[in-house]
Amino acid sequence: MKADPKGVLTGTHYIDGDVASGYGALAAGCRFIAGYPITPSTEAAEAFARVAPRAGAIFIQMEDELASMAAVVGGAWAGVKTMTITSGPGYSLMQENIGFGASLETPFVLLNIQRGGPSTGVPTKTGQADMMQSRWGSHGDYEVIAISPDSPQEMFDYTVKAFNLAEKYRCPVMIMSDECVGHMTEKVVIPPADQLEVEPRRYYSGPPEGYQPYKPDPDLVPKMAKAGDGLKLYISGLVHDERGYPVAAEEFKTIYVRRLVDKIRLNKNKIIELKEEGVDNADIVVVSYGISSRVAVKGVEMAREKGYKVGTLRLVTVWPFPDERIQELSSKVKAFVVPEINYGQVVYDVARCTHGKANVVLVPHGGAGVHNPKDITDAIEYALKQEKRIEGVVEFKTRLEKLVFEGGMKLKE
Amino acid sequence: MNLIAKALKDGIQKSGVNPAMISMPSDIPFSQEVTRELGVDFFQTTRGRAIAFGTGLKLSNPALKVMPVAGDLMTLGGNHLVHGGRRNMELCVIVVNHFVYHTIAGKNAPPMTSAFSPYSTFEEPFNFPHLGNSCGAVFTARWTALHTDDLGQSIATALNKRGLSLVEIIAPGPNYYAGIEHLDEQLLKFYREQSEVKNGEDPRHVAIAPDKKIIVGNFTDKERPTFIDQYNMQLGKVLGEKFTPHGVIDKEPLPGGKIG
Repeated sequence: MKADPKGVLTGTHYIDGDVASGYGALAAGCRFIAGYPITPSTEAAEAFARVAPRAGAIFIQMEDELASMAAVVGGAWAGVKTMTITSGPGYSLMQENIGFGASLETPFVLLNIQRGGPSTGVPTKTGQADMMQSRWGSHGDYEVIAISPDSPQEMFDYTVKAFNLAEKYRCPVMIMSDECVGHMTEKVVIPPADQLEVEPRRYYSGPPEGYQPYKPDPDLVPKMAKAGDGLKLYISGLVHDERGYPVAAEEFKTIYVRRLVDKIRLNKNKIIELKEEGVDNADIVVVSYGISSRVAVKGVEMAREKGYKVGTLRLVTVWPFPDERIQELSSKVKAFVVPEINYGQVVYDVARCTHGKANVVLVPHGGAGVHNPKDITDAIEYALKQEKRIEGVVEFKTRLEKLVFEGGMKLKE
Repeated sequence: MNLIAKALKDGIQKSGVNPAMISMPSDIPFSQEVTRELGVDFFQTTRGRAIAFGTGLKLSNPALKVMPVAGDLMTLGGNHLVHGGRRNMELCVIVVNHFVYHTIAGKNAPPMTSAFSPYSTFEEPFNFPHLGNSCGAVFTARWTALHTDDLGQSIATALNKRGLSLVEIIAPGPNYYAGIEHLDEQLLKFYREQSEVKNGEDPRHVAIAPDKKIIVGNFTDKERPTFIDQYNMQLGKVLGEKFTPHGVIDKEPLPGGKIG
């Protein structure tokens, strides 16, 4: 289905990643955003609020993030595409209702412009430390999809894609961006509406008495319904059967959770998007996502100038994780180098998939800044020098860490 | 829950609203038999978030009538009621108040012990009609679960109000139905004997207190522009003809009014 032209701001813009995501939401058909302002995500909500009326969409500033997330789930069940926008502390507050949405198999999109944490952290500076929270931050078993764009253009493109995936798999989709990409201003080209593919909601169309909100289609995804259609919906966060009625027996729990995780796990080859460059014949592959992949480009370029064979694998989709691709590359490369702005999150999934066939080097960063590309080059060099297989994850000591912990840097604000 | 379900059914019928257009987000679990009998769309939400969830439903499809049912003494969801009232979001809020003083009207109430209050309850309960009215609710009422006819009538009125209306129902918690059959009967009898109907009473004077009877009745009924009215007025003012009003406008927006 083509996008509704009312929501598409076709043209060439010079905007930041936050704004691009707000415009992307409207273009994708989002007609309701509930949110609460939090740095550094606020501009995305502001952008949407400004342009929403032209497409009959509505933005509301709720009383907090719990309310925002609950309203977004409610809005989706009223029959529109919905989204919320947040960062660090707000993301934590949303977790209960994210799990609620996942349990109800509600399609919605959540934009997290990651900032430095934990707790209040560094509101105005970047971080990539919410990655594991995005996967299983709410209690119980469920799977979501997480995407990590690395430019304002991608913030537009992948916001549209996030909505399409949410509809296709009836699940929450997280856009795990960060302050750098959110506040980076670049050229963003928004295509005409007839060149923008959007996924319509898959509604049930049989007789009212025949509707079962959780009866799956062959792809494991059930058809959606909306309030007000006379279906007498019974929708509950309790473990439920295909009719939606609460059940507590372990056999029902097994059926319920199995499908909740399998609809993502078994469809992951259709969901996962990777961007690879120069991985054939590479000795080292740099695995990265979001802003770290922009920085890695420079680090890899410098390594190549030194004659090293280095490839890059960008996780555009971080969750579900591309286990098979990492496994496949493990037997071909010497090591993976993983820069991320945390002390090791996604890197452990890389290590899990290597089965000891390749070393895994983490280039950590504490946040409030991005990597020095030289550290990525040095980590590549370090990985190449290792003669033996090293168990688990090796942490590379960055320039910043050496300066801070081994002297040489005067700490003053 | 049966008494409340009966009153809800009665209220929906009397209101003339098509049950298919009613969405009921609730943090209290109703059985599917009850909700199907009511003919509504039912959503069991996270604890305390029925009003927030309902706000999403209403704004996404303003043609829906949204009737959030809130339990847990509004502990988890108190702020949503406060802001829902301030915005005058079109929600017909049913507050089921399970919390009852150990003593009412100077008499001992049947024991209300539970795992969390093994020595019975002692905290002050909220005065919900007063709270709701102060926050801007356009209609407030309170009945016990035994006043099914009056309660049904209040629900009918509340469903047809434009804005946030609040109907408090004093009822034993569903847990009390689980095994202590005699208790709810005893408690309900107690409610009946210890309540006093005072329609039109100033909600400031209807707090549930140890030495007073439970005051029940329809307390306040006023008109204020709803959230959607105000949204349409403001955006219409700024954007002019470019703006298409949000939602189904079946009545003229109300003249400006203030909270209180």
